[in-house]
Amino acid sequence: MVLNLDTENRKTQNGNNCDDFDIEVKIPKSIFEKLKSIEALKARESQMCISGKDDSIPTCDKNSTPGIITQRSCVYGGARVVLMPITDAVHLVHGPVGCAACTWDIRGSKSTGDKLYKNGFTTDLQESDIVFGGEKKLYESILEVHKLYSPGAIFVYSTCVVGLIGDDIKAVCKQAEEATGCRVIPVQSEGFKSFNKSAGHKLACDAMLDYLIGTEEPEEEHPYSINIIGEFNVAGDLWGIIPLYEKMGVKVHTAITGDSTVKKVASAHRSKLNIVQCQKSSNYLAAQMQKKYGIPNLKVNFFGIDETTKSLRAVAEFFGDEEMIKKTEELIKSEVKNLRDEISEYKKDLAGSTVAIYSGAHKSWALVSAFGELDMEIIMSGTQNGKPEDYQKIREHVNEGTLIVDDASSMELVQLLKEYKPDILISGAKEKYLSLKSGVPHCDFNHDRITAFSGFQGFINFARVVHTAVMTPVWKLSRK
Amino acid sequence: MSELNVIKKERTSVINPLVTCQPLGAMYAVMGIYRGMPLVHGSQGCSTFVRYGFSRHYREPADIAVTSLHEDAAVFGGRKNLISGLGNLAQRFKPDVMGVVTTCSSEIIGDDVGGFIKTAKQEIIKKMGEEAASKIKIVQINTPSFVEHQYKGYDNAIKAIVDTLAEPKDEENGKLNIVPGIVNPGDIREVKHMLSLMGVEGILLTDTSDPFDSPLRPSVAEKTPYYQKGGTTVAEIQDCANSLGTISLANYASSAPASLEKKYNMPSKVSEAPIGIKNTDSFIRTVKKFTGNDVTEEILDERGIVIDAMADVASRYLFGRTVAIYGDPSITVGMARFITELGMIPKVVCTGAKNDYFIDDLKKVAKESDEDIDALSGQDLRALDVYLKENPVDLLIGHSDGRLMAKDLGIPLYRVGYPVYDRVGYQRRPIIGYNGALNLVDGITNTIIDKYYEPQDWKLQQ
Repeated sequence: MVLNLDTENRKTQNGNNCDDFDIEVKIPKSIFEKLKSIEALKARESQMCISGKDDSIPTCDKNSTPGIITQRSCVYGGARVVLMPITDAVHLVHGPVGCAACTWDIRGSKSTGDKLYKNGFTTDLQESDIVFGGEKKLYESILEVHKLYSPGAIFVYSTCVVGLIGDDIKAVCKQAEEATGCRVIPVQSEGFKSFNKSAGHKLACDAMLDYLIGTEEPEEEHPYSINIIGEFNVAGDLWGIIPLYEKMGVKVHTAITGDSTVKKVASAHRSKLNIVQCQKSSNYLAAQMQKKYGIPNLKVNFFGIDETTKSLRAVAEFFGDEEMIKKTEELIKSEVKNLRDEISEYKKDLAGSTVAIYSGAHKSWALVSAFGELDMEIIMSGTQNGKPEDYQKIREHVNEGTLIVDDASSMELVQLLKEYKPDILISGAKEKYLSLKSGVPHCDFNHDRITAFSGFQGFINFARVVHTAVMTPVWKLSRK
Repeated sequence: MSELNVIKKERTSVINPLVTCQPLGAMYAVMGIYRGMPLVHGSQGCSTFVRYGFSRHYREPADIAVTSLHEDAAVFGGRKNLISGLGNLAQRFKPDVMGVVTTCSSEIIGDDVGGFIKTAKQEIIKKMGEEAASKIKIVQINTPSFVEHQYKGYDNAIKAIVDTLAEPKDEENGKLNIVPGIVNPGDIREVKHMLSLMGVEGILLTDTSDPFDSPLRPSVAEKTPYYQKGGTTVAEIQDCANSLGTISLANYASSAPASLEKKYNMPSKVSEAPIGIKNTDSFIRTVKKFTGNDVTEEILDERGIVIDAMADVASRYLFGRTVAIYGDPSITVGMARFITELGMIPKVVCTGAKNDYFIDDLKKVAKESDEDIDALSGQDLRALDVYLKENPVDLLIGHSDGRLMAKDLGIPLYRVGYPVYDRVGYQRRPIIGYNGALNLVDGITNTIIDKYYEPQDWKLQQ
């Protein structure tokens, strides 16, 4: 399918001014008439479209409009969430205290072993450091945390202020590495580097590629070893996946980065296959590992019965081992046997309900199939950091007539919830309370969710959580 | 002899911070204004992470705008972003007040924020017309992130708000200004409750109680633009120049009271948070002094009910038990004093902020209670962790960031402060005033019973 990137439109839209009203309307008339009445949405017509009408996708991947209430984050945040789940590493934030204070335990990534990653480390830059430079302080801090914790590695993140004062964190990291003998890895993640936090994901992947992966040899070579890339073990998702592959005879060497250790990531280059879960943050890493180490990769998805089944089969087929293929089919048969019965009760209540998704780009299309299995329909899907290929993916997955929206601000989200009245919104914590205040049930599918949603058991959990959110009697009272 | 032993920081780095940076305090302050909208002049993360934090703690939406500085702004300055940001925010949200909150990046770039605001005002007049534009006030709040902490940011913001908006008149309004500090909706409601029992009208500078604890009414939320309920109105803030006096309930928030005192010759009093009996008594006395209104029977009864509750449990469960307190510099000191009133011993009090008030106030607590207290000022959670490993206590009082430490140490944690994200209702229940003290007595005692008494043995719990 040919992407309609609409370069003309993107050009006119790349400015920062929200007054660019002369945009071609791509939303069907009926919907547009509805939305036109909403002052806030006028200037953003090109950032929304309806699937199925033509090949169009929303204008996207452009600067945020200053002064709106963006749901976006910064580049540092993007880098942090990718690397944080490495459990035996110190994540040292070189910047003012707030950058570390607001993010040090932001992600509900679980660990079977080390808890070091759950601590917040910062150089806490002060005014004098801004004037005289923070390199000395950084160096001392690295030596200090190394002495206190002997971590597997120390990741050093640069923040906005470091970019401005020009500290050479690479040089400091090198020097500190020589002094400590511990891996000290610079992550050049100045917050303002891009409007899209995906740039931070890429920087994090680069840090692993440049300084970590390929620097150690695995303890054992397994003929069927794989890495699960872009799986961060939020709420223990990973633990719903690993046992399935192990039953097939596949050895999961590590996830990158959920519940991982520095050693495991460092020796990930010997695995025979990479499977990629969060394709937004980690396709790049998989592609680079293929280039550098010749490791092929498969895109997988563990949300929903069908997608999980497909993802298991894909790996078995990749290895082509008859025994494994047989085992896989048996596994699927036994796992799925009671599953559909278990969800049927939820399905009865949920069938026909409508869903809006506003989350990370990967989830904006990867959840569609799972909702289909609950007989629920996606009527709106969007993300704050989408690139053209992400919106193309959404288009391929959703039904005709679905609203696809890029970078909606909080006000626009409230308006869209009002217009579309979905039965549930899937998003993160910032949108959660907007959604509830608007009378729309909500399911958290982000960093601080507390229930694992991956794999077969995860899907039961997911169905239960969605069912609970929609059916809770509070919604019968809220409009009184 | 009792004494305060101040333990010096031994590290360069901060490990598990107990403070965050200035902008958070400023955003909090602006959100307490009716139709007040913070506009953060910085990277997207600067607003996003704070919004996330507020949402987690208050379980409410937190609308905060940002100028989205990117690399070009770092090179060419943030002029364009700030001016168009103010214009867009004004047009879309029609706020009563836009609070421009600077960050580390905009401070370092050296943006002429004041000049940009002037230009933005002209732009807004052009776009919206003189009348509509005149209804939108812009307050410039300088909050460099590499100086001090969120409490300083809060102080800066309240002062900027008052300095920009206050309008003196010839007549006094008979009201009392209150600067509540960074507290919970329940605390602010308790302050209003106490004032109303004394027949005093207050001007809260600012009032975050309703904005951070708003009713769920979808029909209201659907209105555009949607603002959470409540907040101090611009008219009220303007009127604060004509009040009887200003009381700050946080020792770090002294700039606005000082400014009002200087400009309008108005008395002011700054103290630690009115937590516990003595501190609340002192607050009530100050109100009486400033207004001349009498302490009513209702207030005496509320006080009596707390004393009754303390008598019921203090000696039976609490006396002699050791406590570690951490968090906000003002609340921790208030809490330390109340702990001594309960007969418990505040072994160590830790704050991430570094300020002299904290040490001075704690010295007083040590002296009054005749207890030795260790103070960790400008420290972090790891420092407290290391201390507690060597000097274990019976109870921890602090916010949720200490939950893992508490679990590792096997010490029960009674949650107080910001942020509390792993329990519900803390933002609604006051810790300030006599009703706050009552909540604390109940909560602390139940925590002690849970940990140290056999749950099955009802006799022990009598």
